[in-house]
Amino acid sequence: MSLIRCLIFLCLLQLIPLFIFIGGGAAMSLLYLARLGLRNPDVCWDRKNNPEPWNKLGPNDQYKFFTVNMDYSKLKKDRPDF
Amino acid sequence: MAHPSQLGFQDAASPVMEELLHFHDHALMIVFLISTFVLYIIVAMVTTNLTNKFILDSQEIEIIWTLLPAVILILIALPSLRILYLMDEINNPHLTIKAMGHQWYWSYEYTDYEDLGFDSYMIFTQDLTPGQFRLLEVDHRMVVPMESPIRALISAEDVLHSWAVPSLGVKMDAVPGRLNQTAFIASRPGIFYGQCSEICGANHSFMPIVVEAVPLVHFENWSSLMLEDA
Repeated sequence: MSLIRCLIFLCLLQLIPLFIFIGGGAAMSLLYLARLGLRNPDVCWDRKNNPEPWNKLGPNDQYKFFTVNMDYSKLKKDRPDF
Repeated sequence: MAHPSQLGFQDAASPVMEELLHFHDHALMIVFLISTFVLYIIVAMVTTNLTNKFILDSQEIEIIWTLLPAVILILIALPSLRILYLMDEINNPHLTIKAMGHQWYWSYEYTDYEDLGFDSYMIFTQDLTPGQFRLLEVDHRMVVPMESPIRALISAEDVLHSWAVPSLGVKMDAVPGRLNQTAFIASRPGIFYGQCSEICGANHSFMPIVVEAVPLVHFENWSSLMLEDA
């Protein structure tokens, strides 16, 4: 009985790197999906109180995950309000 | 523009296209290396008289040929994502131009300061002068100032079209009722050709796009002339 337990434990021990990589990958994918669902201005959850969030973007909002060359906080607003 | 028996991309005329070229070189080199390696292994296996019937398992090589592909994939993915986000950045354009697709011509509107608009029809093959390119030349080119960020707003008046200029690294669908935005910088003066890239009827192959990048002084002269003619 304890021999079987040892074998299972050894097996799990060798599988730990697999769990790390697969678990990390799954966690990163789910986190990015959650970010898209919650922070993307194209997504509308509340049709009554916030029906069109894409109309509420400020001039220096950065809604993409990553910027290479552009510092959005430095942009100024040069359009009229409507 | 493209030339006969061309294999690779056209020369880059914008920084984004340069990045795309470098990434393509990087990914293609990886593909060539892997393909050469696999081809060598196949040839070696097929042309040997040696056999080995007693190998059971081997932890070391399994680890290597699991980790190495993962590392290669990461090396491809990181530059790819970087370029993906770079292409989507809006970089404070100096000029906004609207390109409207019709059946079967493009019309360009420069309405930042004055009301300038004109149509751009393809020049028929029998009307070409020597030195002009068949199915690529237009009567009125879209002139832009060089080395300035330009915003292009693309839409269509009837059916789907697509505004594409390969040497600038730009392609954006023209959807009726929708405004699509793209941006580019022409890094050098020149004439850059493209063709409509979404099937739109009988003359889909005959509505080309020509972007002419000139210094700002020439752009100002050209737009004054066009405004007078209108």
